[in-house]
Parts: sequence; C-alpha cells; structure tokens
Amino acid sequence: MLKKIFLSITFSIGFMFACSEGDDFDNSQNDSFDRGNLQTNLADNIIIPAYQDLNQKLSLLVTAKENFLTNSNQENLDLLRNNFLESYMVWQSIEMFNIGKAEEIFYHYQMNVYPTNTDEIQNNITTGNADLFNPNNNDAAGFPALDYMLYGIRDNDTEILNTYNNQDYGQDYKNYVSALIGQMKSITEIVLNDWTTAYRDQFIASTENSASSAVNKFVNDFIYYFEKGLRANKIGIPAGNFSSSPLPHTVEGYYVRETSKNLTLKALNAFQNLFNGTHYNTNDSGVGFTDYLNYLDRNDLVNLINNQLDEARAKISILDDNYFDQINTDNTKMTEAYDALQTVVVLLKVDMLQAFNISVDYVDADGD
Amino acid sequence: MKKIFTLLLLSVTFISCSSDDDNTDNNNNQNVDAPATYQFTRNGNNTVSYSGQTQRIAMAEELISALKDQNRDEASLDAMFAHAEGDQDFSDPNMLDLNASSKNVRSKTAASKDYFDSNSTDANAIKANFDSWISSQVNDVFPNWGNTASPGNAGLAQELGGSIRYVNEKGLEYNQAVAKSFNGAFLADQICNNYLSSAVLDAGDNVDNNDNDVLDVGKNYTTMEHKWDEAFGYLYGAEEDETAPVLEADSFLSKYLYKVEADSDFTGIADDIYDAFKLGRAAIVAKNYTVRDEQVEILREKISMIIGIRAVYYLQGGKSEIANGDLPSAFHDLSEGFGFIYSLQFTRNPMTDAPYVSKSMVDGYIDTLMEDNGFWDVTPETLDQMSEDIAAEFGFTVEQAAN
Repeated sequence: MLKKIFLSITFSIGFMFACSEGDDFDNSQNDSFDRGNLQTNLADNIIIPAYQDLNQKLSLLVTAKENFLTNSNQENLDLLRNNFLESYMVWQSIEMFNIGKAEEIFYHYQMNVYPTNTDEIQNNITTGNADLFNPNNNDAAGFPALDYMLYGIRDNDTEILNTYNNQDYGQDYKNYVSALIGQMKSITEIVLNDWTTAYRDQFIASTENSASSAVNKFVNDFIYYFEKGLRANKIGIPAGNFSSSPLPHTVEGYYVRETSKNLTLKALNAFQNLFNGTHYNTNDSGVGFTDYLNYLDRNDLVNLINNQLDEARAKISILDDNYFDQINTDNTKMTEAYDALQTVVVLLKVDMLQAFNISVDYVDADGD
Repeated sequence: MKKIFTLLLLSVTFISCSSDDDNTDNNNNQNVDAPATYQFTRNGNNTVSYSGQTQRIAMAEELISALKDQNRDEASLDAMFAHAEGDQDFSDPNMLDLNASSKNVRSKTAASKDYFDSNSTDANAIKANFDSWISSQVNDVFPNWGNTASPGNAGLAQELGGSIRYVNEKGLEYNQAVAKSFNGAFLADQICNNYLSSAVLDAGDNVDNNDNDVLDVGKNYTTMEHKWDEAFGYLYGAEEDETAPVLEADSFLSKYLYKVEADSDFTGIADDIYDAFKLGRAAIVAKNYTVRDEQVEILREKISMIIGIRAVYYLQGGKSEIANGDLPSAFHDLSEGFGFIYSLQFTRNPMTDAPYVSKSMVDGYIDTLMEDNGFWDVTPETLDQMSEDIAAEFGFTVEQAAN
C-alpha cells in the first residue's frame, strides 16, 4: 500500500479537512528524487559488471574443468578448486539481484541452494543425464553440488582422484562435474545477455512507485536477500536460530570448510557497496540508496545502517574461517553475528522502506 | 506519507487530503466505548480467538506437573517443552488437541519481537537455562527422591506442616524455577513485548487492513484484532468464560493476578488489567490507536507489577520461614521467588521500554541466591536488600508486597 488510508467513523457531522502541502519527507510518491539515476548506476556500474565478472570466472572454471577431465591429477584438481572458489566469491555479489531474467528462470535456485543433497547427487551420477533445470535438482546443482564433487565425495585427495580415475565409474563423476559447470555457465550467460540486450533499459525506465516497478521490486529483493540469503542461510540456520539446536552441516561451503566466513564477508561487502552505490570492484562512488535517503533528509538512517553493517562485519570477522568448527566450539559468537545482522534487517525493512514509502512484498510467517 | 482520511459522517462523506505526519492527530481522540465484557463481534459473529494461547498454557501446565513425577525421563520432559506436531507428549485432560498441535512452549520462551528479535544470543541462553533445570531435575533430583536433602546434596525436605519438597543441592526446587520463570520468560514476554508491541500490532499492512476492515483469510478478525486477542489469551486463555474471568484459572499469571488482587494494597489491579484489554480491543475496532496505545502502557505496567510484587512477596516469605526455623518452607518460598526474580528481566516499563529490572541485575540476584550452599545459608539481610531494590524499581514498598 502506498497510501495509508484511514477510515474513521464518527457520529458527529461537521469535520472538514483542508488540503495541506507540508514538506512531508515520507511522501516518496511525490518526491522528485531521480530514481532513474539510481537505477542507471545500479545497472551499469554494479549489476552488469558483476555478472560480467562472474561469467568470466565461470569461463575460467570451464577451462579448468576441461583440463581436469582430461587429466585428473592433483595439480588440475587444485586449479579447478581455485577457480571454483573464485567463482563462488564473485557469486556473493550476484545473489542479491534476483530480478528480470534471473527471477524468471529461477537462476538462484539452480546456483546456490545448500545444504546440497548428496543422495540425489549420487543418484544423478549413477543414472546420468540428470535434468539439472528440474526444480527437484535444485539441491543437487550449482556451487554447493560442486563443493561436494570437488571436496566431499571421499575423505582425502588421493581417494577423490582415484574416484575420478576409476575405470568403472570415474567417467560418471566427470560427467556430473561437467554438467554442473556447464549449466552454471549457460544460465549465467542467459541472465547476463538479457541485462545487456534488453533488460537494462527496462530496469532503468521502471522508476514509478508501484508494486510491480523494477525499483520497488529491486529494493524488496535486496532486503529479502539480506534477510534470507545472507542473515538466515549463511549464519542463522547453521547457528540454530530456526531450529531447536545448531545445524553445522548446513553452512555454506560445507565440504571445503575453510571458506564459509570469507563468503559471508564478501556478501556483506557487496551488499554494503550496493547500498552506498559504490561501483563493482572499484572504490568509485555513484548514486546509491544512501543518496536517496539523504535526499529524504534521512542521513541519520544512512549512518545507522552503515554503522550497523560495520558492527555486523566486526562480529563476523572474529568467527573461525570454518563455521563448522565455530559452531561446534562456540556457537555464541555465531548467534552474536546473527543478532548484529538482524538489527540491520529491522533498519532496512522497517525504517528504510518507510522512508522510501515502499511496501514489503513478502512476509515472514511467525504468528500463531 | 500520503494519508487519506475517510470519514463516514452518518450520511455525508467528506474526503480530503492531509500531509500531516501523525495519524493520531486526526482521530480526534474521540472516546472509545468499551463493552461490558471482552466480547467482540462482527456481523453478529465472534471475532475473538486465542486457541493457540490456551494450548500453550495447557502444555506448560502438564510440563510443570510432570516435573514432579520422578518416574519421568528427560526426553519425555524435553518433548513436552519443545513439543513437535503429532508427537504423543501430553495426556491432554481437557481435550485441547495438544498432541496434534504444531505449537509448543519452548519456541515462545524468550521469543518476543521487541526483546529477542535481535538478541538470539540471550534468547538461546535463557532457553538453555530452562533445558538445564529440566535436565538437572531428572539427573540430580529424581535419583535422590528418597534421600533427605542436606547442604550440597539434593533430596527431599519436609516442611513443618508436612509437605515434602524436592530440592537440589542448594535447596532449589527446579519445578518451581521452571514454573515461576514461565511467568516472565514465556507469558509476560509474549504479552508485553510481543503481541502488544507496535512491531507486531502494526507490522506490514496491519494498520491499513484494520482501517479498512480487511479480514484475515477465512477468518472473522483483522490481523491487529487477532494479535491483541493473542495477548489477552496468555492471561485469560485457561478461563472457562472470557467474559467473566474468575482468575486462578492456570498456575501462571492468572493465578498470580488473583493473589495480587487479594492483597488489599493492590486490589483493583485485576479490573485495571481486564478493562485495559477490553478498551484496547475496542479501540482497535474503532481504529483509535491513541487509545489503544494508552491501554498497552497500562497493561505493560500492571502485568509487570504482578511479577515484581510476587518476587518480593516470596523473598519476604522465605525470610519469615528462616526466622521460624522452617528451612524446607523457606526453600519452597525462595524457589518460587527464584522464578519470579528470573521473570523480572522480561517485564516492561512503559516509561523506558526496558525491563524494570535488567537482565544483568537479575543474573546478579540469581548468582547471589545460589552462592555457596544457596538457600541453605542465604541471609535475611540479603533477602531484605534484594526485596528493597526490586520494590524500588517498581515504586511499591516491601511491606505492601509482603502481606
């Protein structure tokens, strides 16, 4: 709802209200902030460059995969793993853009659903030719599935390499790695090409304050991402915030283990850069949500959000690189990080959305 | 924010716009007429619903009763606390479908929006306290059910009147710790810091929907009305008839509101609370959020008072029993006091929007009570000092609470 409609019933006649035109900063519908500038900066300097970077990293991953499939030795496994981790880091700048083609083709569900389902993966390996686009395989595809394939199928590197080189079933494992990476590359290309050919212009032109406008959807999406993809998936679920006890096997990067914290920090930085309008992978600044809030005379909120994001970063930074170990040794530090992130959620979802006069298009069901 | 105030003036309707920021200014602060009882209808049909609260109170009742059954194992008690839908954890004498229910008590312990939404760390620690009291009851007290307690040893302690209490090595009855702490951690927290909270009542489109009589899907109430009823249900959910509450309908806030009402220093509190629930609910129906919020303040203060008064009452009761030389009776009073003191951290002072007694102060009190041999050697001076401190936070006197 863009307008608060107050209906009041009274039994006395004679109330009249006059129109007044105070400078009401809540009134974003009539504010003259140029949302188009904001959206142009998001598209041209943040979103598209990030997709281009991911696409490039995935190209390198494809090459590394080809080399590994040709010669499954330790050196090629290490190279493949490095390319996997670099792509996974870039992905942390992408996951918050669930709009346009990405939303249409359920891109995110195919790229980063974790924990991955190893039973399904094993079944897919054995049967071959799995349809990775099928929603049933969302938890057997993307980065988490690759994490398992490169680190988790056996207890140590020697046995992993033996598996890929096994005469009976090694080719099945190779085929699955190939299918996973091939799919990740192809759907990323689809999304990137849509941005560069058609969607960019639609995105920057759709500036009105309505439930279906790109800017409203984008704002909702990136807050939803912060709440779900970042706060809940990376920290809250493994720390047990949504269950009766912690679930350490649900951490992001479970099989590689030493990377969970780096993925979270990368995601948090990407989020804060987006908020501030900072260009992808540079320190150049452009029009961000901060500028919009400042325009609405809410630089107090800009400071609050940035300070609280910094606070969350500080809480995350002291965690073990390996969340699995962190949870099992001192889960309190995980929940403290969660609490710091949750404080940001309230600022974004309540205060910032009120300032923008944008409605939340998703709800969290926590009632009775 | 653009606000359009639509006034239905009997037959004439004027629509006008205003950029006034404060919606309360335009409700004219008209008086809201509360009905005689907590009875609300829409088109002739009841709109009041709080079955989830009734179920949870019943679950808590069964749990605190089972804590006194030394044949229970820890798993079955844990399952009553953190019930999962479909598990056969309850005997359910009142046929409230407790076993089929998806609800449980643990998920609503230290779980309010205002106090714990961004503080899962404390919430986890509080839930863990309850878990450990349950666990210690089974592992430390049950095995010593037939032994006489002594300093450092769990067992039974018989009061002068004959009642037998089962205490831990410090004289604490864990079943009392759990039961009395529920008053704050579960019930008052849910009422004062969750369902009466603006973050819940006014969440999402609740105000728009309430203003426009948009009902919950398949229901006869607006979300805001229902949230208010859920607050009401945590105090009156065990009543036979919500329009004529008799109090003492459960072992928690209903019981202790009854006790406080019976203290002539505080008589009237029961009506104050019931009336505030009624008027606030009527204010929601009338879309008058100023009046509603005034009732929230009254409820937060008065419900918090129940806990504060009973904390001091039991500390003083314990002191008297020590003076009488009846330590087992003192253990019982102090165990109840322990739970009410623990509950203080969940109270809500409407002037500060914080607890009347902070968590760190509560932790300090608990540590003091449990020092060395705990209730075996706590001094009257300690109990008096604690009583004075707590009473001062609320603004009543120790004498008023003690009788």
